[in-house]
Amino acid sequence: MIGGGIAYALWPLLARIHAGDPVALRGALERHASAFNAHPYLSSLAVGALARVEYEEHAPETIERFKTALRGPLGAIGDQAVWAGWRPFCLLTSILAFCLGLDARAAALGFLLLYNTGHLSLRAWGYRRGWREGLNVGGVLARSPLKQLASRLLPVNQALMGAAVALLLTRLPIEARAPEAIAGALLVGFGAYFLPSHGAVLAMSLLFGACLAWII
Amino acid sequence: MAGLDLSPGLWLILVALGALVGLDGISWPQLMISRPIVAGTLGGLLFGDPAAGFLSGALLEIVSARHPPYGAARYPETGPAGLVAGAAYANAGSAAGLLPLITVTLAGWAIGWIGSHSIQLQRTFCARLVGDTEAFGGDARALTRRHRLAMRLDAARAAFITGVLVVPTMVAARVAATFATPTRAHISGALAAAGIAGLAGVGARVLGGRWRGWPVFAAGALVGAVLAMVVA
Repeated sequence: MIGGGIAYALWPLLARIHAGDPVALRGALERHASAFNAHPYLSSLAVGALARVEYEEHAPETIERFKTALRGPLGAIGDQAVWAGWRPFCLLTSILAFCLGLDARAAALGFLLLYNTGHLSLRAWGYRRGWREGLNVGGVLARSPLKQLASRLLPVNQALMGAAVALLLTRLPIEARAPEAIAGALLVGFGAYFLPSHGAVLAMSLLFGACLAWII
Repeated sequence: MAGLDLSPGLWLILVALGALVGLDGISWPQLMISRPIVAGTLGGLLFGDPAAGFLSGALLEIVSARHPPYGAARYPETGPAGLVAGAAYANAGSAAGLLPLITVTLAGWAIGWIGSHSIQLQRTFCARLVGDTEAFGGDARALTRRHRLAMRLDAARAAFITGVLVVPTMVAARVAATFATPTRAHISGALAAAGIAGLAGVGARVLGGRWRGWPVFAAGALVGAVLAMVVA
């Protein structure tokens, strides 16, 4: 998936390490261009660590095993901390701010600033710690606060989702803003929480139904 | 396109923005300008109504919250979808009522899945391109060429989706806006509100993973409702 990108990122260092040895350089590039997958932001940790192990000239078999061992944790922790934690938190905060009267441009820009402060810090941290720890980077992941961040943001995001949808309904055009419609809608939302698979089909059907009811 | 107030120049800007947000979603730099609230605001801004773009983007966020990009799961591509939805809603006029908003939200949802399938096709192609190690042979210049080709393809794919689907979505939103004084507006409004809240409930459940946080979700909704009354 991102093997080509990993090789591309490592290429300047590999070219320096294997200067004057084109066969070794080709071997190293081929090795890193092979299939690899991780969370895109935490791949910086992999790039930093792989750069270090290449710099220390570990055996190719060791590097291969190391890459394989990194894939799972980098993907799982990144998905939980960023896709399920940080990104929804920033999105929902921004939607709340908009619903409470913040200008749309400021809300969108605020989201980008807040989100990317975390995003770019994570990438920079990944490069630094990866390079510093090399083969020991697994321990860094285990000790990192990312897991804690993910578990702490779970309830916060669920509360924000509830608040955001209640406020968003009041920002809809007038036809959907009757208090009884909003109260009924929140009950439907609550019901859908308990029956997610059926709830999703029902909710999408309601949206299509809203269009049909209008037209028929 | 004159009836839509969409000049060729504006269409080209939309296509370029589509390429940009498509590229941001997957290839680079993933700064999240591809999120519907940002892409939608950009689309709305082009037609002088960023708030309309943000609102349509926020609804698309709720609709797509139940498809997080974990592991190998398929999920809708939100960049071009949000941009097109935001532009189409702002173009229809946010004063036109709920139907254009629901129309562009559903259109954005469909465009998101079209984008998702196009990404699958592109990934298959790129995997073959990079996986062909004999042709690649560890050559750094070949690696650079392939890397850049994959990114150009991604941008072209997103630009194509935006360019092709923006006009029909705008037409649909404009047609929906002609139903501005419906006789059953309250029924439609209640159905739409219930649909959006239902999707938010499912999204909250998916966000929580194995953790069952229904009291927190309910408390959040209650606080939101109280805040809404205070703000109103």
